[in-house]
Amino acid sequence: MFKLFLKIYKTPSNIIASQNKDFDQADIVTVGEKIENKVKKLFRGSLAIRQIDAGSDNACEQELVALSNSFYDIERFGIHFVASPRHADMLLVTGPVTRNMAEAVKRAYEATPEPKIVVAVGDDAINGGIFKDSYAVLGGVNSVLPVNYQISGNPPTPKKILFSLLNILESLDEKPAILK
Amino acid sequence: MLEIITSPISFFILLSLFFVGAVGSLLIRKDDDSANIWSNFFAIAGSLWGLLFSVTTIISERTVAFVVGGSPFPLLSLSFNIDLLSAFFIFIISLIALFCSIYAIGYVRHYYKKYHIGALGFFYNFFILGILLLLTASNGIFFLIGWEIMSVASFFAVIYDRKNQENVQAGFLYLVMTYIGTAFIVAAFLLLYKFTGSFDFETIKSDIALIPVGVKNIIFLSALIGFGVKAGIIPLHIWLPAAHPAAPSHISALMSGVMIKTGIFMMIRLFLDVLQPIPTWWGITVLIIGIVSSLLGVLYALTEHDIKRLLAYHSIENIGIILLGLGSALIFSSLSMPELALLSLVAALFHTLNHAIFKSLLFLGAGSVINQMHTRNMEEYGGLIKYMPQTAFFFLIGSMAISALPPFNGFFSEWLTFQSLFQGIAILDSSMRWLFILAVGALAFTGGLALACFVKAFGSIFLARPRSTEVTHAKESPSSMLFGMGALATLSFLFGIFSSQVTFLLEKIGQSFTIFQNMPATLLAENNQGLMVKNGFASVSGLAFTIFFAGVIMVVIFIIRSVVNKRQKIKIGATWDCGVDLTPRMEITSTGFASSIVLIFKGILKPSIQHEIEYHDSESRYLPKERTVVLGVSDVYQTYFYQPLHTLVNLLSLHTKKIQSGNINAYISYIFITLLIVLFITL
Repeated sequence: MFKLFLKIYKTPSNIIASQNKDFDQADIVTVGEKIENKVKKLFRGSLAIRQIDAGSDNACEQELVALSNSFYDIERFGIHFVASPRHADMLLVTGPVTRNMAEAVKRAYEATPEPKIVVAVGDDAINGGIFKDSYAVLGGVNSVLPVNYQISGNPPTPKKILFSLLNILESLDEKPAILK
Repeated sequence: MLEIITSPISFFILLSLFFVGAVGSLLIRKDDDSANIWSNFFAIAGSLWGLLFSVTTIISERTVAFVVGGSPFPLLSLSFNIDLLSAFFIFIISLIALFCSIYAIGYVRHYYKKYHIGALGFFYNFFILGILLLLTASNGIFFLIGWEIMSVASFFAVIYDRKNQENVQAGFLYLVMTYIGTAFIVAAFLLLYKFTGSFDFETIKSDIALIPVGVKNIIFLSALIGFGVKAGIIPLHIWLPAAHPAAPSHISALMSGVMIKTGIFMMIRLFLDVLQPIPTWWGITVLIIGIVSSLLGVLYALTEHDIKRLLAYHSIENIGIILLGLGSALIFSSLSMPELALLSLVAALFHTLNHAIFKSLLFLGAGSVINQMHTRNMEEYGGLIKYMPQTAFFFLIGSMAISALPPFNGFFSEWLTFQSLFQGIAILDSSMRWLFILAVGALAFTGGLALACFVKAFGSIFLARPRSTEVTHAKESPSSMLFGMGALATLSFLFGIFSSQVTFLLEKIGQSFTIFQNMPATLLAENNQGLMVKNGFASVSGLAFTIFFAGVIMVVIFIIRSVVNKRQKIKIGATWDCGVDLTPRMEITSTGFASSIVLIFKGILKPSIQHEIEYHDSESRYLPKERTVVLGVSDVYQTYFYQPLHTLVNLLSLHTKKIQSGNINAYISYIFITLLIVLFITL
């Protein structure tokens, strides 16, 4: 328990800003190809993501689901969503952490094999967003888990998520310490 | 020194130790603790003496025969004949009784204040005394006295926990079956007496030529039924799964380990020694009974979830395996192939010894578990390995031995049985060969099913999570119980490793039979490393197995530790349960484990399923209040054999009742008529 708190305290906040100047000009396919290259390099061609709903209003889920549709088709870049944290390299946590889901989020985190990357998706997940200071939520995901990256937006668009993933992969490539 | 140990006096010391133990514990029955110590002390002392006596007799190859004079009845002579076969069985009973008695010191404590411990000690000691008498008696009537002491003492042991109505019913079933058996034995002995004029086995043996062939066959059948009831052959087995669970566990261990073997002992004695020469069909009958008993025994064991009934059915299976050896020995001896017969006999004797060891180990293990759990239902166990680690370890060794896994003893005797059957296939022609092929198939199949059954038993008793709160209160057994089990587990291992030395001694026992004398060479090669059948037919070595397995295990551990896991960090965490808490209801139950095999054999086992649903509103039938599912296996022997027999006997008795009018004049007229008839015949 103490170890987890220590880790939460130690993990630096790493928000990927929504206003990125490259963002508007970016083309999905070019971003995707870059992601593919990074995934090949860092994860041997396959990045497995487990999405955890920590009490979200489902806005982020809609956008994440959109990543898998035929327009974005994220799987062609080597990223796929898996059904169990046991299979995951990365946890995408959405929504403010409600009191009832805190235990479930912690368990899912425990069940994910090392090394693992925790990404909080959406403003709610970063600090509680519009639910901030409600009696029913504990705050952002970083109140229960050590969060490595945060994707802002309420909710972030699929393109934004995709682009953020690229940023995350690039930053992992520069600082591979997280993957150890 | 040897003369002193194997003298009649020494044998009487042996008997008197058990006698003093029995009577003494009855006298001090009021005090639970001292009765416990007294009865088990004398049982232990007697067993140690018995071990010394029997081992000395076997090693010095000395037959002790003597008659205690002054019998008041002309036909009953108190004559003893302790030959090597008797000594071997005395060895088995002493060995098992020794560890059962040590176990009993701790085990019977849970009967304190509920029942008189002295009474249990009395029946326990008399039970062993009875077995010793019947093993050594060389007179038919004297034998029956020992047989009855054994049966009655074990009957009282079965109904010892008499507050449970089921146990009393089981006891009566046992008593009835025992007396049916005894009736057939008496018939066999009387027929022998009619033609030879004596109840002494030695005299019968020398005058065997006087008996006509037809009568000899009837004697065979009656003896087979009589001793078969005690041995628990199918379909005469029905008392066994009822009586063994009812008795206290150390007595179940003795009943299953030793008492049912007395039937085998007398079959060997009569068929291979006294009644020789014999026709071939006797052996074929015994072999077929062996096939049926071993297969059906293990199939019924698979359907059981009562731990002691499961073990009882396994006794039937193992009796079947012993009978496979004995049956082939009979066939070979009738075809005058003494070398092969000796090989089969050694296999049967070795399995008798081994089964006694591992089955009593398993019964003692089951007793320890039941003692903590207060139920025999395996579905309520689970996860006991965390609470009773040593018991679990010993039970595992017993399970491995009974499933014939090397390097434990069960493997070597089954291997020897296989070899004797293979020899039969290699040498015999057409129809006989097919019988032996069938027997080999049955034995192989039995081994596989036994393994499945003990995977089920061990898994549902000791592994996974506790299925009831009772488990979490379980504590490891006291040291005396652990010692009893541990010693038997060690023996199970040692008799596997030193199987060649043991079979060498068993061969000596076999050669003391008249039919095996003057035999040029035996088929078992002398070999200190392991068992070997001559002419390069086959060989197996316990030591090599052990070294091989130990080596393989060490290599695998080394590879995993230093190659596979070298760069990986091991993290121990909870099982991923998808957010739902794991409950015992997610585990596979023993019934569930066995169900696929039961369904394959549904033609034989006839499983039944019965649903009962109670609704909140019986009109609408939408909301069930509670559901009950009853699974069962219909008892085909009860429905097709015992039930019709029962109806027939009832019908006959109803007709017989007609002549018993209760009118004294009628009875006088019966006497008068009988008198007239008798006079008419004699004059």
